[in-house]
Amino acid sequence: MNSDFYGKLLYETDVYGNLLTAMLILLITAVVVPFVSGKRKLAGWLNFILVAIAAVVMLNISYVTVFESSKLSQLVNIGPVGIYFLVDSLSGFFIGIIAFMAIISAFYSINYMEHYPDYKMAGYYVSYPLFILGMIGIVTVDDLSLGFTISWQLMTIASYFLVRFEYKKKENIKSANKYLVLMELAWIFVLAGAFMIKGAAFGDSLHALIMKLGGMASSAQYLIYGLILLGFAFKAGIFPLGQLWLPDAHSIAPSPISALLSGVMIKTGVYGIIRTFFWMVPHSENFHYNGTFWGILIASFGVATLFIGTVQSMKQNDSKRLLAYSSIGQIGYIIFGIGSALYMFNTNSEMLKLLGLVSVVGVIYHILNHSIFKGLLFLSSGSVLYATGTKDLNKLGGLMKLMPISALVAGIASLSISGVPPFSGFASKWTLISTSLLAGGEVLFLVLFGIIALFTSAVTLSCYVKFFGMTYTSAGSEWNAEHEVKEVPVGMLLPKLVLAALCVIQGLLPFFYFKAIIGIFQNSKGSIVHAAFNNMNLNERVTTSMMGVSVNLPGMSAVSSVAVPAVVLIVLIAAILFAWWLKNSAGSKDRITDTWLCGYRSLGDDNRYRNRNVFAALKSVLWWTGGNVKE
Amino acid sequence: MDILLIFVNIVIFLALAPLFEGVIRKLTAKVHSRQGPPVVQPYYDVLKLLGKENLVTGNLGFKMAPVIALASILTAIALIPLGFRENFLTQYADIITIIYLLTLGGVAILLGGLASRNTYGVIGASREMITMIMVEPVLAMSFIMGAVKTRSLGLDSTMYSTLGSGYSWSLALMLLVFIMALQAFVGRQPFDIAEAEQEIMEGAFIEYSGPNLGLFKLYKMLKQMFYAVLFVTIFMPFLKTGFFIADVAIQLVEVLVVIVLIAVLGSTNPRLRIDQAVKYFAVLIFLSLAAVGLSVYGI
Repeated sequence: MNSDFYGKLLYETDVYGNLLTAMLILLITAVVVPFVSGKRKLAGWLNFILVAIAAVVMLNISYVTVFESSKLSQLVNIGPVGIYFLVDSLSGFFIGIIAFMAIISAFYSINYMEHYPDYKMAGYYVSYPLFILGMIGIVTVDDLSLGFTISWQLMTIASYFLVRFEYKKKENIKSANKYLVLMELAWIFVLAGAFMIKGAAFGDSLHALIMKLGGMASSAQYLIYGLILLGFAFKAGIFPLGQLWLPDAHSIAPSPISALLSGVMIKTGVYGIIRTFFWMVPHSENFHYNGTFWGILIASFGVATLFIGTVQSMKQNDSKRLLAYSSIGQIGYIIFGIGSALYMFNTNSEMLKLLGLVSVVGVIYHILNHSIFKGLLFLSSGSVLYATGTKDLNKLGGLMKLMPISALVAGIASLSISGVPPFSGFASKWTLISTSLLAGGEVLFLVLFGIIALFTSAVTLSCYVKFFGMTYTSAGSEWNAEHEVKEVPVGMLLPKLVLAALCVIQGLLPFFYFKAIIGIFQNSKGSIVHAAFNNMNLNERVTTSMMGVSVNLPGMSAVSSVAVPAVVLIVLIAAILFAWWLKNSAGSKDRITDTWLCGYRSLGDDNRYRNRNVFAALKSVLWWTGGNVKE
Repeated sequence: MDILLIFVNIVIFLALAPLFEGVIRKLTAKVHSRQGPPVVQPYYDVLKLLGKENLVTGNLGFKMAPVIALASILTAIALIPLGFRENFLTQYADIITIIYLLTLGGVAILLGGLASRNTYGVIGASREMITMIMVEPVLAMSFIMGAVKTRSLGLDSTMYSTLGSGYSWSLALMLLVFIMALQAFVGRQPFDIAEAEQEIMEGAFIEYSGPNLGLFKLYKMLKQMFYAVLFVTIFMPFLKTGFFIADVAIQLVEVLVVIVLIAVLGSTNPRLRIDQAVKYFAVLIFLSLAAVGLSVYGI
């Protein structure tokens, strides 16, 4: 208490002031940079520097709110209008990933945007900072009307112009228009849901909405939550809504924008869902929140999304479409985690409640991991596009020799998203899958969902074996012979290396992230899990140590599940050293030879196994999941 | 002592896996009415390959693939409780870790096949991946059934679940499914589609020779024995004596029984096509889902 008081006195950070400052810098960027857009390099650098300054301010906000003190909702007057803002730890977390990816993507843009000599850059540099501004708005405003509308429209319209950047291709305009229409539809759904609340006024804070909602009958929740869920589900890309726009929009945008769209923008939909179902819950006499119903509903959609999105991803020939469908699949994991956490937390069993808490920690962890590795994957396929001029996996092949660093980085990202230990996807997927499997002793459908999620992670692996294998290994194709392919410039490698390092760190240090995420829920007031996070002794139950994370269930003495990437990694490295020694133990020498071409004289596109043939038997069995690619 | 047990695991596996392979080859030959090689032939094979010249047709991925494959299965072996005795590392792994480690071995084969740049290699890799996707759930579910029973994903408690609870209808169903998937786990007929010697000439291994091939061969033998040990620990735990050496000996005898089963199944069944196999695996997945479902209700 005391230190808290002095802390406030001495170095209380003015979070809301800083937030407005950062937003102002982004606005200035949008106004200033287009004037120099004739000079591409200069505009790129200026955009990067200004965005980075704003992002650093925001990262500071993120740090303060996640690790030091969560803020309460506050009315902020911007000119004549007052908008409620809320920067608690959860918002702080989302601000953090948005700001970080904004820096990475802006830096990558400097070099990347050079390969669009036919397009003017002014529009790009107007839209880029506004897009970031809109996303920051979504995760910080504390209403579902005024501030929400401004942020949503900024985000949607700015990203619309970024998606249709290559406007000279007809089909791009069509996809971008579809994106715009569906996002506006989503906005209407959310707004309609909010205004179904009796007495809801324009500009009401979330707190006021909750009070008004509490005055209504329980039956009202199905329409209200249903509409809001529908709106955010559009944004997050939940099956079947995501399939309508996400693959088209994400694959046609310039790669640094795709990285932002998949890495962070669809997470704003997830943010909306978390805020709605964990925060916008009234406690009153006549309103009974049906958490188990919403939990089952959301978890079911999550499982459908993760399975179908990933299987569709496996069928793609275009590398960016593959990544986009896979984003739907990974969002499915997150949504599934949210749903099962909501369900488990609203049951009466002490054990399930605890597992619900662990699951929601896994959700945030996976959001973080997915931002990093999906951003990295889009930057990787962007690099390939930059270097070779194609993103068609049927044409690509054998780039490992030509682009070794890009290959290494893409390999790390692929392993991460596939959840191979000890890379980052493993830790978060482990959390999500293991909680639902452990809950299986009491709830049958959760164990089935967990098995589907586990099965899907094998399918994810197959997607990325294909993505990596067909691009970097496999046979050097005719394309490489006809085009001069070389490694991308340092300016594009650097951001990728940073992200790759994070993929490794986030996988190796799960205890740090677990602690931080538990802290987020302990600090953010007003959620249904807030009290439980503070009372249920999660720190005792969830052992986080250098070794990893383990969960002890109530009433059982044994450690119930363990993920210890560091130990596994050490054993694996020892085993690799042993295998390497064994291989060389008899002193045999390597000799480089040519591949046997199965009787052909040279390896052309006609006699090599191309991407469209890979997994043909599996694709034909799973034709019913849709997303099939015509030859 | 616990740490020593890790090495006991490794040594037993390295020493006996080629012998079991030899038994299979001998038995297969007998079924074919052939003389067959001596049972120690696989030892000679590996030793001979280690001394041969190493022909390299690919990049770094090609060279690392056999090393990663062997390392992943050795790591998995180091973690499991052989002879119902947990070693130092068992506590640090759960079933999801084991499943991913086994997947990593498969991924290494894919990497090797893709990096060899041979068309047959890529076909083999594609088939290997399909097989992996379809049989991994069956493996996962035999673990998960134990996890559901014991409310734990820990490797030891899951693998001992039958020891604790005894047989039930769901376990019997899972046993049946496991036997039906056994040939696919160990990559033998009728599910050696990814290698299919007569058709795509060893698939992913086509460009491998010398020590690289030796490592892959060792990997396959170890994997075969690993699945056999898994089988006897989960489904045949009833002769537990409590004495470590006796338990290990009993388990190894049981492993031999499983190996004979593998040999008989392998030598009497013709290879399926990949599309036929996928349908077969789909049935297995649904059967094992049913088994897990039943076990939740305690049947």
